[in-house]
Amino acid sequence: MDEDKELIRQTLEGVEEAFAMIVKKYQRPLLNYIGRMVGEREMALDFTQEVFVKTYSSLHTYKPQYKFRTWLFKIASNFVIDYWRKRKLDTFSFDQPHAWDQDKPSFQIPDKESSIVLKYELNQIREKIETALGKIPPSLRELFIWRHINDLSYDEMAEIKDMPVGTIKNRVFQAKEMIRHLLEEKS
Amino acid sequence: MNCLRVDQVYLYLEEELSPSEKSEVEEHLASCPKCQDAVEERRLLLQASESLPLWEAPPDFTSQVMARIFPARVSIWKWISVTAAGFVLTAFAFFVYVIFSGQSLVGSFSSIGLRTLDIFRSAFIILLKAIKLIGLLIRVIIQIAEILFQFLARLTTMINPEAQIVLIIITVILSTTLLFGVKRKYLTGDKA
Repeated sequence: MDEDKELIRQTLEGVEEAFAMIVKKYQRPLLNYIGRMVGEREMALDFTQEVFVKTYSSLHTYKPQYKFRTWLFKIASNFVIDYWRKRKLDTFSFDQPHAWDQDKPSFQIPDKESSIVLKYELNQIREKIETALGKIPPSLRELFIWRHINDLSYDEMAEIKDMPVGTIKNRVFQAKEMIRHLLEEKS
Repeated sequence: MNCLRVDQVYLYLEEELSPSEKSEVEEHLASCPKCQDAVEERRLLLQASESLPLWEAPPDFTSQVMARIFPARVSIWKWISVTAAGFVLTAFAFFVYVIFSGQSLVGSFSSIGLRTLDIFRSAFIILLKAIKLIGLLIRVIIQIAEILFQFLARLTTMINPEAQIVLIIITVILSTTLLFGVKRKYLTGDKA
């Protein structure tokens, strides 16, 4: 992460190559996040470019006490939320409390669970997860992608969303359980 | 220990439990087939989630972003070379003119200068006339509009609304007919 801060310092001093290195480093994680949120490759590429342009233009407001990766994903997340709001594709807010935040009883393992282990191979499960991702609420999808595709920690995610770590964990579990149920339904 | 909750299963699989919580969970798992199955189910789900195929950006993605942030800058040497090329080309054209016109160098200079001056003078006069004409047109249009407005204002006080509507319809029909007649006579060349 210190490497990021050094690159930012150089960028602010006018070294263009330093920002090119930041773009190279983060283009894939951002594209995978944005791409799975909007679902279209061309749009995802365009949005990823926009996020980098926004990041560059507000680089002078970056505070070094925060992780750059967290800050970058926050910009990307706001961008995606704006897109969803403008298109009115989602009726509920990304950041407001959800009913499932306190939904502890559903976290009990049922006595009889249908198995995906016995039904599918790993490749089939991957394909089905991709389809299921498009069917879960965007606010949960976002957290699932950050956790399992972008490999962000729960603390980082909590910092990005400005929410308690416990809430974030609950939502990620809910996302995974929703996906699992969708996989079961298809069997 | 009771059976595991789903969140405990995930925390266990993601190694997010403290050592004591982890050993408790493992102790329970050793004796509970239901929880063992639940762990295996979710282990596979996590394994698949963490190995989803990644989207790749095109090879020129970085340069596209950089081109948007830093628009192409032309180096000072490029400016110098373009200016020099322009100068050489102008000089060449001038000498070609001198050779073919048969005039002396000084004569060529003065005749080119005079012609350029003539062009600028003519363009300036045309521009002034055009501005005058546009001003005149605007004034005429405004006056016509004022007369029309006054006429309509008087009409509304003199004639009742029903008669006004009839009068407007007749005027529109007459104007349209007149317009088509003019168009037919002058544009299509019909003399009938």
